[in-house]
Amino acid sequence: MSKLGCSNRLVVILGIAVVALALASFTFGPIGARLFGIQTPHELQVSKPHVSLPSEAMFHIGDFKITNTLISSWITIILLCTLFYFATRKMKDVPGRLQGLAEVVVDGIYNTIQGVSGEKYVKTFFPVVTTIFLYVVTNALLALVPLWGTWGPIEEIQEGSHTATVIVPFLRAANTDINLTLSIALISFFFVEYLGFSKIGALNYINSFFHFKELGKALGELFKGNFKAFISGFAFGFINMYVGLLELLSHLIRIISFTFRLFGNMTAGEILIGVMTFLVALIVPSIFYGFETLFGLLQALIFAGLTLVFGLMAVTPQHEEGAEEH
Amino acid sequence: MESIGINWQLLVAFLVNFLILFGLLTAILYKPVLKMLDERSAKIKESLEQAEKIKEQTSRSEEQIKAAIETARKESQVIISQASQIAAKIKEEAKGEARKEADVIIAKARDEIKLERDKSIGELRSEFANLTVLAAEKVIKESLDAQKHMKLINEVLDQSNSFKQN
Repeated sequence: MSKLGCSNRLVVILGIAVVALALASFTFGPIGARLFGIQTPHELQVSKPHVSLPSEAMFHIGDFKITNTLISSWITIILLCTLFYFATRKMKDVPGRLQGLAEVVVDGIYNTIQGVSGEKYVKTFFPVVTTIFLYVVTNALLALVPLWGTWGPIEEIQEGSHTATVIVPFLRAANTDINLTLSIALISFFFVEYLGFSKIGALNYINSFFHFKELGKALGELFKGNFKAFISGFAFGFINMYVGLLELLSHLIRIISFTFRLFGNMTAGEILIGVMTFLVALIVPSIFYGFETLFGLLQALIFAGLTLVFGLMAVTPQHEEGAEEH
Repeated sequence: MESIGINWQLLVAFLVNFLILFGLLTAILYKPVLKMLDERSAKIKESLEQAEKIKEQTSRSEEQIKAAIETARKESQVIISQASQIAAKIKEEAKGEARKEADVIIAKARDEIKLERDKSIGELRSEFANLTVLAAEKVIKESLDAQKHMKLINEVLDQSNSFKQN
């Protein structure tokens, strides 16, 4: 009983301490300083987040810039490969912890994909979709590790009329580089189009956009002398071709939406955490770190899931889709 | 393009990065783990099948044993019934033989008795005839009144040992 009381008291004390720290950092932060006219102590001064959309170059190799996001993505790759190398080095029938982890990851994603795409295409989708998921989620979660975004040289930057001191981090969340999101979007796009061409045949796939067959049928009616059928068929054929053009455009727009969805979400998350840290230095940003963990997972899921769904749409034969439409 | 940081070199670098990650993960994660999982599920399936087979075999051998016991029981019953039949037959035969033998013995005894009797009767007859002849002789020699006749016969009979009156 006394033990329980002691631990209860400890919880209460810790809670009070946490709230006090949050309140203190709010009071002595920029808002409190402005409201109550207090000078912010030097220890609690956090620099204003500096938003730089392009990633910053850390080194130059010839003309090629090695940016902080590129370094981050290398770390992601090294981390993933090391982890799974040791997990699968000596495969045993009765798995150890690491092998169990690898098996849970692979089996879980495999079963999820199988649930969406069915038995036939699961082997086709699995490697690409899983790699996208693991890459994006690891990039996102690594960005929440303390060194990311905070460790680097301080530089003076001219902002309008006054100069600002900003940290140029050695490591920056890889997902906040538009080149990375664009590269995965391109991979996803080419993967989907490749599947469309290879699985249902190039002619079928092109025809699934433009419906040339109906136009050809209309021309056939013209040769038979059925002029009325030709006119309506030809008109519908042209409408279909126009719709096909729109669809082609939508496929291209997918690249852009993929790119900016991930880039925007991750950049916004970084800025949000930066701003919250600037406003309330302690405690409160932790909540947003929690949010960002969730968002990283969610964005990875969305990227991988959409690639899977688009791929599935591309390999589904046209007449089935048509049957659903009409 | 430049203000949001799109840079062709960097884009190519990230593409290469992704492809490297894709290749490495395929080699060290997807292939071995999927192979492992497939092998394991195959193994589990196999052992389950084996267990099923063993179970089946056990039940089958149990049935076989039961059937064997059943046939043995039936056979033993058949043997027992046969044995009792044979016993009855042997008994019957023995009885029949004994009876036959007895019959033979009886027949023999009868024959012997008959023979003896015939013999005795023959002897008696011949003796009787002799006596009769003797008596007749005496009768003819003496007068033939009844009293004498009776007396004579008695005498004759008394002379013969066989018809001696006590």
